[in-house]
Amino acid sequence: MNCSRVRRSLPLLAGNDLTPAQARRLERHLARCPDCRQEAAEIRAALAAVRTAAAQETFDWPEAEWKALIARVNSERTEPRRRPFLLPAPAPRSWAYAAALILIVGAALLILKIIPSKPGPAGLTETLAATPVLPPPALSVKEALAAVHPQDRPYMIHPRQETLGRVLLAAGAPPEKPTQDMMSMTLVSQKTGLQVHWTLNRNFDWEEKKK
Amino acid sequence: MIELVLSGRTEAFEPLVTPYRKLLLTLGYRLSRNTEEAKEISQETLLRAFRYLRSFDKKKSFKNWLLKIEMNVWRGLSSKRPDAGTLRQMALDSVPEGPEESLAGKEAREKLLACLDGLSPREREVFLLRDIEGRSIKETAGILRISAIAVRVHLSKARSKVRELIKDRFPEFLEDRR
Repeated sequence: MNCSRVRRSLPLLAGNDLTPAQARRLERHLARCPDCRQEAAEIRAALAAVRTAAAQETFDWPEAEWKALIARVNSERTEPRRRPFLLPAPAPRSWAYAAALILIVGAALLILKIIPSKPGPAGLTETLAATPVLPPPALSVKEALAAVHPQDRPYMIHPRQETLGRVLLAAGAPPEKPTQDMMSMTLVSQKTGLQVHWTLNRNFDWEEKKK
Repeated sequence: MIELVLSGRTEAFEPLVTPYRKLLLTLGYRLSRNTEEAKEISQETLLRAFRYLRSFDKKKSFKNWLLKIEMNVWRGLSSKRPDAGTLRQMALDSVPEGPEESLAGKEAREKLLACLDGLSPREREVFLLRDIEGRSIKETAGILRISAIAVRVHLSKARSKVRELIKDRFPEFLEDRR
């Protein structure tokens, strides 16, 4: 042990606050290091001086003041049992966290179930009507789709077309049905003949998918 | 005794706390270095002890519980207290009641204990509880609601500072200690 490390522990050694093993290690160093031994002795002496002075300094209540204080205390009322006011709140246990999480999730599910879903945009039909419908595709596809889903308006996606955003709207229900709140579309691959049929409600929530 | 007080026989509170009346007042003085403030701290400690007696865990030390309350009261009041230099002057100016002794001896003792003003509030609390009141490291940690490691750190600093302050002001205490 070097001196700087020993000196950090000397105040604790002086007050007997080290483990016996730690104390023995320090004492071995002190036996061969006069400077550290001097410092340890000074700390002990300082502690002894303060303790002696403190032991001589005790105060007591004048009897009249003590009686008055006790009378005042006795006029108080004890509080009902509760968490000790001077102690921190107990650390929550893991099961408490789990129970709280379950409660929160349960409450959220309940709320979602009770509260009706927001009605969809009222202008869906108008939106569909205002969306420009691109020219119809090749007759063969139209005929094929009409045979399967006669209520649909088929639309052929051009192979070079990169976005489907407007196409999805254009492929919806015909504008002449203002009360329509369901929309379906069928996508047909011209190369493979694969058909994908989507049905969406008025909130554009996906309802059904057929291949 | 505690059960008696809680059952409504409040007169049992006095014999319950009488063994600690000197301790609480003296510790209050050592914390505040002022007689009137020491009385205020001690009085508030006893009032709170009575008020919240039902919260006391009977498996634990009643003395340590009182000390914990006193430290709490002290912290609440300490935000309003003057700085250490003013406190020391007030301490030297005031003459608290104590055992009969010569004025010179009392002054020397006061000046020696005034070295504790050089400690930080936390170092002073730890030093008073461990080195003056003789609480263990664990008890000190419990009373101050800090870890035992924190107690050791503050205690180590406090003892080093006390040694330096005494060496600086009263080198005669530390001579020939090799």
